[in-house]
Amino acid sequence: MCLLVASAGVELLQARQDTIYMSVLNSHKHRLGALDNPTVGLFVTTDAGATWNHKGWRGYIRTFYTEAGSDGTLWSACGNGVLRSTDRGNSWRVTTGWQITEALKIKIEALKPAVAYAATAYGVFKTENGGETWKEENKGFLKPFVSDIVIDRLHPNRLFAASEDGVYLSTNGGTGWLRVGIDGKGVRTIAQHPVIKDLFFAGTEDEGIFVSRDGGKSWNATNSGLIHLTVYCIACDRSNPDILYVGTHGGGVYRSSDGGKSWSPRVKGLSNLVVHSLVVLPSNSSVLFAGTLNGGLFKSSDGGEHWSFNSQEEAQVWGLWAK
Amino acid sequence: MGEVKTSMVGRAFLLLIVMAGSVSDHSMAQTSLTTESRFEQRRQRLIDVVSQERDRGFFTVAAKLSAGRDKDFALAMLDSLTTDESIGGMFYAYSAIGTYLRLWNQLPDSLVRKLRQAYRERTMYRGDTENHWVAYYTGLYLAAQTWPNEDRSQWFNGKSSMENFKESEEWLNRWMSTTATIGQGEFDSPTYFIVFMTPMLTLFDFAKDPVMKRKAQMTADLLFADFAAEHLNGNYCGGHSRDYPDDIVNPLSAPAALWAWLYFGEPNMELWQESRYRPRYRGGWETVFGAMSSYRLPDVIHTMATDRSKAYVHTETKRTRNVIRFGQEKNPPVYKYTYMTHDYALGSLQGGILQPIQQHTWDVTYRSDKPNNTIFTLHPFYSGRELAMFFPEEQKFLADEVDRYHLVYTDPNKWNSSSPYEQTFQHKNAIIVLYSIDKNANHQHIDGFFPKNLDERIEHSSGWIFCRAGSVYVAFFPLRPYQWIEEKVDWRWRSTALKNGIVLEVGSSDEDGTFEAFRNHVMQSKPAMNSSGNDLIVNYETRRGDVMKFTFDGKRRLNGKAIDFKTYKFFNGPFIQSERGSGIIRMTDGKKVRELNFKKATIKEWQRSQN
Repeated sequence: MCLLVASAGVELLQARQDTIYMSVLNSHKHRLGALDNPTVGLFVTTDAGATWNHKGWRGYIRTFYTEAGSDGTLWSACGNGVLRSTDRGNSWRVTTGWQITEALKIKIEALKPAVAYAATAYGVFKTENGGETWKEENKGFLKPFVSDIVIDRLHPNRLFAASEDGVYLSTNGGTGWLRVGIDGKGVRTIAQHPVIKDLFFAGTEDEGIFVSRDGGKSWNATNSGLIHLTVYCIACDRSNPDILYVGTHGGGVYRSSDGGKSWSPRVKGLSNLVVHSLVVLPSNSSVLFAGTLNGGLFKSSDGGEHWSFNSQEEAQVWGLWAK
Repeated sequence: MGEVKTSMVGRAFLLLIVMAGSVSDHSMAQTSLTTESRFEQRRQRLIDVVSQERDRGFFTVAAKLSAGRDKDFALAMLDSLTTDESIGGMFYAYSAIGTYLRLWNQLPDSLVRKLRQAYRERTMYRGDTENHWVAYYTGLYLAAQTWPNEDRSQWFNGKSSMENFKESEEWLNRWMSTTATIGQGEFDSPTYFIVFMTPMLTLFDFAKDPVMKRKAQMTADLLFADFAAEHLNGNYCGGHSRDYPDDIVNPLSAPAALWAWLYFGEPNMELWQESRYRPRYRGGWETVFGAMSSYRLPDVIHTMATDRSKAYVHTETKRTRNVIRFGQEKNPPVYKYTYMTHDYALGSLQGGILQPIQQHTWDVTYRSDKPNNTIFTLHPFYSGRELAMFFPEEQKFLADEVDRYHLVYTDPNKWNSSSPYEQTFQHKNAIIVLYSIDKNANHQHIDGFFPKNLDERIEHSSGWIFCRAGSVYVAFFPLRPYQWIEEKVDWRWRSTALKNGIVLEVGSSDEDGTFEAFRNHVMQSKPAMNSSGNDLIVNYETRRGDVMKFTFDGKRRLNGKAIDFKTYKFFNGPFIQSERGSGIIRMTDGKKVRELNFKKATIKEWQRSQN
């Protein structure tokens, strides 16, 4: 049993099975141009990582990140563009044309699963019809390289973008953007706390973690205890709002037990310390997965105290997402 | 039929033996064959050589079927190419359809079905470089044209024939237009030249739309002309993007050399030695599609490539590949300068980071019967930030990642590199190359490549190093102390000062008389360097009396007048002219003019006297 936030302030109690989507960008076993690359692409588990099933294209298309819409549709952000599957990953369609490439993240509106935003090396692109057409939405960006997007779950027209130049806010569904913080810094990831609606975090290149406790109006560094200041990913414990995790370059996983005020490393058993993706199992917040760059996937069953290798030897686990 | 394993060296040797026979230009001249008939012989010879290959690949299949050799073996090879899951991607996308379109009438229905199936089931990665996209979209365009009116379920990417065709057409049109107005991002690559040229010739041969067909022809003309203006006896001279270390130190090993041989008729194959020419797997046999193509090189371009009766200056503007972060412009311009003579070429880019990983900023390349016929310097720079300018992955991770594929990216001894600490100033056959290396740079030295097989290498007390390779003379003045490191084929010149540089002049017996006369002439001048504080300035008067003053990160002054790169045209030389952005390229061999108008998709030719 777990809490699932499905719409504006409405929390549904629902029995379900956790599903984790792992996007493997590359691995040391990959060969460019080869079709038979079972070590790259999308992998799915429904048994907390005991088994992983490869889904969709086996060939290398630079799969950065995969997320599912509320209607079950899967979306993957890839080098080939944005891919979509309506049959649980068995077949895929490239929804984008030549204009969209190097899609790094894809975010789907919770109540309107036909609406999605792609964060790309060339800015933000939006579809309102399930990927049939896409529109560039870069008005206001000084530098359009966007690594990540978060859709405010209470106000879906309110978006935050992690750009190479700070955090940008759109209040009109991407039509226009305004920089609201961390000016001039490369922002790698951005997240909204799953329980506290006005709490946002941003991970940066070399500048650590920034927090906004007022819904994105102001942003402040919160790096006490954080030695490794390049932060690629953020994960929150839904059952305890004070517990947070970040994945860093070179420092592995850090944990905060005080809502992000201070951090301490959690690396025991983590043999690769470049952590690019993190996810907390929705139904059991003691279980975490950490995706590393070139070290594969690691699992912890005790809130990050101990880690053990799970799968994907020598792989770059670029993205993790769970529902 | 048993499989015979042939090593790469063995295959190269085979190629030499077979090619060196009756089709050399030397023997051609004696038999007074026409340019056209010489080309015909060369292309037949190439198909014949490749048809004897046993390496599995679409080009081998195409050569075998075209030559009527080993048909059963070729069909079995093609069958395995359609079923083997260990291959795929953008190169598959264009070479599979290219093979099918050239040879469909020799293929059994079962193989045709399997080829079609490949476009339904295989992942065709679009790639992350310009040549990848050209290969991918050319393949998709021709496949969608071949199998029209099929719905989304029939294609690997979930798009219908019409959607795939439209997307490919749109991108190809855009790419051709960009290439003809501001240039390629992967410009003048001695390796990837083939991955642009082979798809273009396939598109020319098989596009049903006459406008697309003509534009493919025009683009092939443009790429050949671009090469021809900087071509010397099979060598792609001067500065390049995407150049591999083996080819940089041995220019005739580059894949483009085989295209030069096929289309320009140079170099004389009889002179090639095995050690000099190794058509690597990625480079050689694509040329078969050229040999099988109905495209014919215009006479004007052939003359551009081979007429070296007069020395000339040729300049160009290119662009960087897309700068996605840490830059002010998406495609900053690249300025190229080449001085070409009968015996040598000196060519350069302006320096700085113009291309990630595989930049070759400058060199002197000379006509020679020996391998390693080049001299150049570089700073072996690497950084994650450089890579992150062009690739979307994380900057702290990219250098190691690139090393996985390119092996030498972080190597202090590498022979290809872009560097923000390197800048050039060239005037005709003289060049000043300055280095202002940050104290925190990963590698804090500069290297120079000097082939061991030079006829003479003299270190003179004046500070000049003089080299002679046959009738070509090089004078090299290090601005700082240096050492020599002996290597297999070269003497590595190394200097470790952070503010550094060299001055170089090139000459020849035609221009200067004896080597001694050249040396004496050069020694009348000595470069003067000021490197106090942050300044790095060099003054030098060339042996022709031109005064060059070069300030790192500052002005380049020639005889007191500042050089303005913004005045550079798209192409500017005696053989080819174009204004940047015009889309109109005009070439001439002195008698005839050929004009490519990419905005109107027209080709015009006329005698010069009528202009």
